[in-house]
Amino acid sequence: MTANSALKIDNLHKSFGPHQVIKGVSMEAQKGDVIAILGASGSGKSTFLRCINLLETPNSGDVYLGGEKIRMRKNRHGETIPADIRQVERMRARLAMVFQGFNLWSHMTVMENVLEGPLYVQGIPKSEARDKAQALLAKVGLSDRADYYPAHLSGGQQQRVAIARALAMDPDVMLFDEPTSALDPELVGEVLSVMRDLAEEGRTMLVVTHEMGFARDVSSKTVFLHQGEICEEGPPSQLFTNPETEQFRAFLSRMN
Amino acid sequence: MDLLLEYHSQLLAGTWMTVKLALVSLAIALVFGLLGAWAKLSKNRLAQRLAGIYTTLVRGVPDLVLILLVFFGGQVMINELGYATGLWGYVDISKFAAGAATIGVIFGAYFTETFRGAIMAIPPGQIEAGVSCGMRKSLIFRHIIWPQMVRYALPGFTNNWLVQLKTTALVSVIGLQDLVYNAFTAGRSTGQLFTFMAAAFVIYLMLTGLSDLAFRALDRRYSRGVVRA
Repeated sequence: MTANSALKIDNLHKSFGPHQVIKGVSMEAQKGDVIAILGASGSGKSTFLRCINLLETPNSGDVYLGGEKIRMRKNRHGETIPADIRQVERMRARLAMVFQGFNLWSHMTVMENVLEGPLYVQGIPKSEARDKAQALLAKVGLSDRADYYPAHLSGGQQQRVAIARALAMDPDVMLFDEPTSALDPELVGEVLSVMRDLAEEGRTMLVVTHEMGFARDVSSKTVFLHQGEICEEGPPSQLFTNPETEQFRAFLSRMN
Repeated sequence: MDLLLEYHSQLLAGTWMTVKLALVSLAIALVFGLLGAWAKLSKNRLAQRLAGIYTTLVRGVPDLVLILLVFFGGQVMINELGYATGLWGYVDISKFAAGAATIGVIFGAYFTETFRGAIMAIPPGQIEAGVSCGMRKSLIFRHIIWPQMVRYALPGFTNNWLVQLKTTALVSVIGLQDLVYNAFTAGRSTGQLFTFMAAAFVIYLMLTGLSDLAFRALDRRYSRGVVRA
């Protein structure tokens, strides 16, 4: 592992009951990498992403964040669980996640949503956190919506707030779980353009997506998951023009 | 009217007893309700089962039967137990403690279901969003679950509270001098049952009306971010 490694996943396995969803996936993101993860529904791509910040507990495999391994242990039933939940919480704070369904806290204003993590998880002073939140809302183009509640925003606006909320944690790596799949087609563009800006800034991002254009133009590496395994991976220029496997070719033709 | 003035201190004392009993039993019911909801939603099988037995048992038996059982049966049981083990002497359960505890435990079972439903109504994604930015369980509970749970629970809570307030009238059977007991006693001794029961009627309505106002204020406070149709 190089000093430049932002996130490394080593031989991750995950089953739900008898059903194996992830069958030994490894992946490494260097600082500034944007990895697009593609795959048909049921290929395990969302589960994989959720295993990285332990929203789902992997059955085996290791996750390293900036070289630090998330320590796991077996409980008395032989299930894998985090060895130190405080460590996991610290790691999660550095791994911001953006969800398909936005998941904004509906009883908090836009500003409160963005402030929550910095104020109560990181303990940043209020005035400093507020300045930063304001700057982030400006960045996603929503300065004038700070006092709105999520229910009063469009899906695209809610997702941009969710991105601002994730950015507020100053994360080392951002995880995007199909961030545009729940949006009306005309709202997809505004979210993708914010994500493009983030990529250009050099943010490290793992993006599970169905947006082929985004994967092709923005990602530094594209990974195609098929039935819980990496089927094909490489620079998008190579993958999209010259798919090697039958599965990826079939997938691409279905998507276009 | 003169009669009511003459007996106003009994009526007031009865009202105060009713209010006290309702509030103390509400506090007990809230604790049991939150514990019950937590147990029912926990992954612990034993906790789930105990909470299941609790709500099934309590909701399946008339309140009056439980009150009489606790007051008379409980008294005997505690003293038999103390005698057999020699750990304590004769204990006299106060009527107030027996009434408040029984009503509290009974309504705790109803609150268990109210709170369980309210917690389940919170979109799980909002809790995941908290988890994924490194929030601790206690912070997630205070900042995300509690404020929304209160809002979802309020309609059921209001219902439970109104029924509970009126259920306190049952304690008059164990001789606790609540509003019903005092109004009934005064009515019988003066031969003006109708007048005193009408007074009780009005006082109960005032109490429920006041609670309605309080719940409206709570609803406003906890409906932040809700789009009204």
